[in-house]
Amino acid sequence: MVDEYRLKILTEGAKYDVSCSSSGSSRKNDGRGLGFASSGGVCHSFTPDGRCISLLKILMSNECLYDCEYCPNRRSADVERAFMTPDEICELTINFYKRNYIEGLFLSSAVFSSPDATMELLTETVIKLRKLYNFHGYIHLKGIPGADDALIMRAAGYVDRMSFNIELPSEKSLKLLAPQKSKTGLILPMKKLALAREENKERGAKRGRIIPAGQTTQMIIGASPESDGQILRLTQSLYRKMNLKRVYYSSYVPVVESPLLPSEGAGLLREHRLYQADWLLRFYGFDVEEICGEGENLASDVDPKCAWAMKNMHLFPVEINEAPTEMLLRVPGIGARGAQRITDARRHAKLDFDNLAKMHIVLKRARHFITCKGKFYGSGSVAAVRAALALETRAETAKQLSMFSESTVALSALTGEI
Amino acid sequence: MKYFLVDGTPACFYTAVFEAYRERECIITSERDVQIGLGAQICEVAADGGKAERVEKKLSALDKGSLREIELILRSCDPLKENAAFNYIKLIVESGGPVRTMAAHPSVIEALAIVDRVTREIDRLKGFLRFMENSDGVLYAPYSPDNDLTDILARHFARRFPSQKFVIHDLKRKKAALFDCNEIVIAEVGDAEIYLSEYEKYFENLWRRYYRSINVESRPHERQMRGYMPVRYWKYLPEKRQ
Repeated sequence: MVDEYRLKILTEGAKYDVSCSSSGSSRKNDGRGLGFASSGGVCHSFTPDGRCISLLKILMSNECLYDCEYCPNRRSADVERAFMTPDEICELTINFYKRNYIEGLFLSSAVFSSPDATMELLTETVIKLRKLYNFHGYIHLKGIPGADDALIMRAAGYVDRMSFNIELPSEKSLKLLAPQKSKTGLILPMKKLALAREENKERGAKRGRIIPAGQTTQMIIGASPESDGQILRLTQSLYRKMNLKRVYYSSYVPVVESPLLPSEGAGLLREHRLYQADWLLRFYGFDVEEICGEGENLASDVDPKCAWAMKNMHLFPVEINEAPTEMLLRVPGIGARGAQRITDARRHAKLDFDNLAKMHIVLKRARHFITCKGKFYGSGSVAAVRAALALETRAETAKQLSMFSESTVALSALTGEI
Repeated sequence: MKYFLVDGTPACFYTAVFEAYRERECIITSERDVQIGLGAQICEVAADGGKAERVEKKLSALDKGSLREIELILRSCDPLKENAAFNYIKLIVESGGPVRTMAAHPSVIEALAIVDRVTREIDRLKGFLRFMENSDGVLYAPYSPDNDLTDILARHFARRFPSQKFVIHDLKRKKAALFDCNEIVIAEVGDAEIYLSEYEKYFENLWRRYYRSINVESRPHERQMRGYMPVRYWKYLPEKRQ
């Protein structure tokens, strides 16, 4: 059985992977085994950094062939190395799951002897967990770039989600900072998996055969010179062409002194704005062209939806009792749930400003962009709106930044992969 | 003003709805220390299967989904829950159908806010409930939730661990759900004496170690942690025990 010492090393090696979600799969129990996957996902605990624990996130090994500049486990780093056997991983997962500590396993690994050998042992572990240990909970498996397709496809038949990390937002940066990885080595398996899922669906195979919760990826922001516009274009194409479920961003923080890496971190505000823009692409019907020019960065003083709305003041204000849902979704401050509640409620009675407040619609920003029964409650001109919003965001950002700055100091010991 | 005092069971509540429906002004409550104004009339309601069934049938015909919502409301710790449910029912009957999309109506706002709060606690506890293994291999989870959720959680875990015996124990309400791999039995249980399995401490320690290691210390955000995982739930979490 595994000891605390190795668990610590292999956990610390895995913790900078952002993905923690356990949603998107509804794997059933056959009536004898252990567990099932709940399609909404379940959070089991929260750590003092504010992140949720849903899955047991560990590396099988942190001994790596590769020497990626930004990685704490890179070959040339002087860190303690450890390994956990497939059986040890299975036992730990089962025992944590039974106690309801976790929703499943997120297994990853450094590339310890060759990509194929690593992928093979990861695959053996998840198959063992499913077949021998009869585990039906959630499994997220990290794919090893460069491993044989057949191995990757085999694993995909047993897990709920797979991910290959793109790492850096352009091929050029990848060549510079992770010379042993190649764009094709990362993109190709993602494409193949996307295709296999598509075929799986078309054949009418029962949902859940191949990675029912789909694929995700992650990239480091600010270790290389790409603009937000470039990053978001890459994101949009990943969502549209590869059908990815999520793209995670991790703001770079200097950990290694290297002439190839910037000496300063990208800051968490940039990461935050990228996530906001990401949401606009996925849930609000925006196209990247509307949000950010190719060589541009997102505004830091206001969120991307506000920025878009202020550039398009001629479309506002919209009447809350008449505007189509797509337009309500574009009002700063109104989210997907809010838009739904408004369209529901206005079928029964015309809504005024008070109604919206009682329905918990956040009006701080929205009031500048809507009318209720023809009445307007916002500031009249673009300049006035900008001033009002800037004041509010400044208060917010000040709060956030102070929270960031205390951490940035200590962050120097860690990688940017958050 | 007429007060209908109920015993907290759904049958008694639905009987009270039947009785109270024709009253112009009345309050249904299961609170025993309720403040009653001068000149108030008090009416202790005894569950009547026939009357309760008529109300439920009517509701089911008008809006099937409302029965589930009322069920959740009645599990709430909100002192005004019966009245919120009653007003919601009245609105359904007046409108002759589902009203949950009338998101601006005060009765709907009030009722659905309670449904949301109970649902949120169910979702939280699906994650925060912690089992320990006793020496016979039975899992035991003590907890004290705000709302009365034990049977709902027991159904969730019976689906999850179909071949694993477990006990979920609500220490606040002194009741427990016992699952024997076959059926769930709800019983009145005060204190329980537990003999832990020899591995329990070992896995608990591994879990505490994991919790400490997965945290990114340089990026503290305790406020967010407390927001997502309120302190009142920490008592039963091994990772938060000092």
